[in-house]
Amino acid sequence: MPGGRKLPAPFAGFSPFARSLIFSAAASSCPKPLPLPDASTSAADADADAETPRQGTLPLVPERVTPSPVARITPLNARLAFSPVDMPRPPSKRAKRAEPSSDEVEDRGSSGSEEESFSTSGSDSDSDDGEESSEELETVQADFAFFDPKPSDFHGVRLLLKTYLDSKPWDLTGFVDLILAQTTVGTVAKLADDDDEEGEGNGAEKANSSNNTDDDDLFGLISVLNLGRYAEQKCIKDLKEYLLAVCADKGTKKQLRSLLEEKASSVGLLVCRRFVNFPYELVPKLYDALFDEVSWATEDEPTKELQDSFRFKHYLLVVRMLERTPAKHKSKKSKDDDEPVIYPKLEDEFFHELSSWSFTFPIRSEQAAQQEMKNYKEMGLVMAIKADAVPKFRKKLEDLVSE
Amino acid sequence: MATRIQFENNCEVGVFSKLTNAYCLVAIGGSENFYSAFEAELADAIPVVKTSIGGTRIIGRLCVGNKNGLLLPHTTTDQELQHLRNCLPDQVVVQRIDERLSALGNCIACNDHVALTHPDLDKATEEFIADVLGVEVFRQTIAGNILVGSYCAFSNRGGLVHPHTSVEDLDELSTLLQVPLVAGTVNRGSEVIAAGMTVNDWTAFCGSDTTATELSVIESVFKLREGQPTAIVEDMRKSLIDSYV
Repeated sequence: MPGGRKLPAPFAGFSPFARSLIFSAAASSCPKPLPLPDASTSAADADADAETPRQGTLPLVPERVTPSPVARITPLNARLAFSPVDMPRPPSKRAKRAEPSSDEVEDRGSSGSEEESFSTSGSDSDSDDGEESSEELETVQADFAFFDPKPSDFHGVRLLLKTYLDSKPWDLTGFVDLILAQTTVGTVAKLADDDDEEGEGNGAEKANSSNNTDDDDLFGLISVLNLGRYAEQKCIKDLKEYLLAVCADKGTKKQLRSLLEEKASSVGLLVCRRFVNFPYELVPKLYDALFDEVSWATEDEPTKELQDSFRFKHYLLVVRMLERTPAKHKSKKSKDDDEPVIYPKLEDEFFHELSSWSFTFPIRSEQAAQQEMKNYKEMGLVMAIKADAVPKFRKKLEDLVSE
Repeated sequence: MATRIQFENNCEVGVFSKLTNAYCLVAIGGSENFYSAFEAELADAIPVVKTSIGGTRIIGRLCVGNKNGLLLPHTTTDQELQHLRNCLPDQVVVQRIDERLSALGNCIACNDHVALTHPDLDKATEEFIADVLGVEVFRQTIAGNILVGSYCAFSNRGGLVHPHTSVEDLDELSTLLQVPLVAGTVNRGSEVIAAGMTVNDWTAFCGSDTTATELSVIESVFKLREGQPTAIVEDMRKSLIDSYV
């Protein structure tokens, strides 16, 4: 052993409890001497060179070595153009799975892993069929499918909701759990092959399927939570407290308070979160799925109380928008060119037009300063919409996409 | 003792902090709760230093260190380097190195005696690690992942590795590191162990999503619980037993 240390009997000094934790047949039965790195007898799984390198290093075990996440993510980021050639069919009446119309499922888009350094895909079959490579961008074919929320979606949903309220700590975990528990109303958008499916994918990918389903890449989420039904949950209490704290205007605050307290049982908190490059064609389908499920729930839920909890009279939304900051000095570009307000999610503009009332509040946390967005400040926007306005909203959204 | 904390609603506490037996680095930003949680546990024993590296907050993933030294990537600014040199104890050697794989915290995992590194690390960097940190260096993979610094966390007393590590790999690693190892998760099933928690010989900090089961595994493998279970029973004996017949 390098350094002149004697190799002790394996696990000899460890308590029986620690030994029981170590999943080793050797520890429980007769401890066998483990092969030394520089011994002439090669280690059992050294598929690499028979010649073990000098002290301090071990032969690489090449079995499942994956390219580093950095290497994998960089080419994916270059492919910004998603062109799903065959759109997934809208979810049929009661079924959630959209049948994948195209069988060519390529890579998954990169998940928005900011500070997390890992990438979940174990597949190294990086065959991207870029039919047309427009300039430097290659097109990737991806099939999206809508699913009911389930407990294993926890990490994906949490990632999407991380910036829902500002950086102030609140019970985000509880909020995610609420959304995942409500399987009857709520939809998550993932890649079409993410669920356990027998016939799809090649053998190598399926071998890692148990790994993949643990950390699916969730691309979008939509759900609505009845504020009265969940009023006792800590996350809803935190949320109400936060909204009342950031509301500056007294008149709006009164209206907000009435929605949050007296009328809470007929108010739905509409949560829609998705990644920036989520194809916009799918967004109306996402909203359709939600509003359809809400109307089915009023008939299908087991108890009358639950059925009534989905008869919403108002929807409350908490979203972000970009407001133009007043220019500090006279710039060459005329101010009229810049929009006063930019909505990162286009449908928020429709909601805002149709809203009964709304207010904005400043966001404290750091924002990525992009060049075009330099003059804009990110603000939070809270709006209330009457349920009657929803059909108008759906029509406007359809028109936007079909033009 | 293991504590659950959050950094700005983010449970990846190993990303925003670096804990060793001689010092603790904490990222700037967010509320003071994060910093105070560390101060409350560690203030009497070791210095808790607020810093950034290369202007970023992901300090836990960019640097690597133990009680002997601290290695910083080339992206560290001169002011940050000077700040760290001033705040850390004199026996800790602070060194900035030029390594292409600049996320040192993701590539290298170490305790006070042994380090595991990314297989593609430069030879020069390996020598720096051996000199500055005073450890033996082993190039390894964990469950097929080359980012050993991300998928395992170990102290001088125990270690936690990626949940899909095979039994043979566990044995091999355990022999190398000379500490008991357990394959487990943190933060409610997250496989990125080192991002979800940070640990030294007497305390650990985990993300607030960590379940009670995960926390008990962590406390037992890193030997963080004070004493044996019998000690607790003896303490409680007075309250449990009213009188002897």
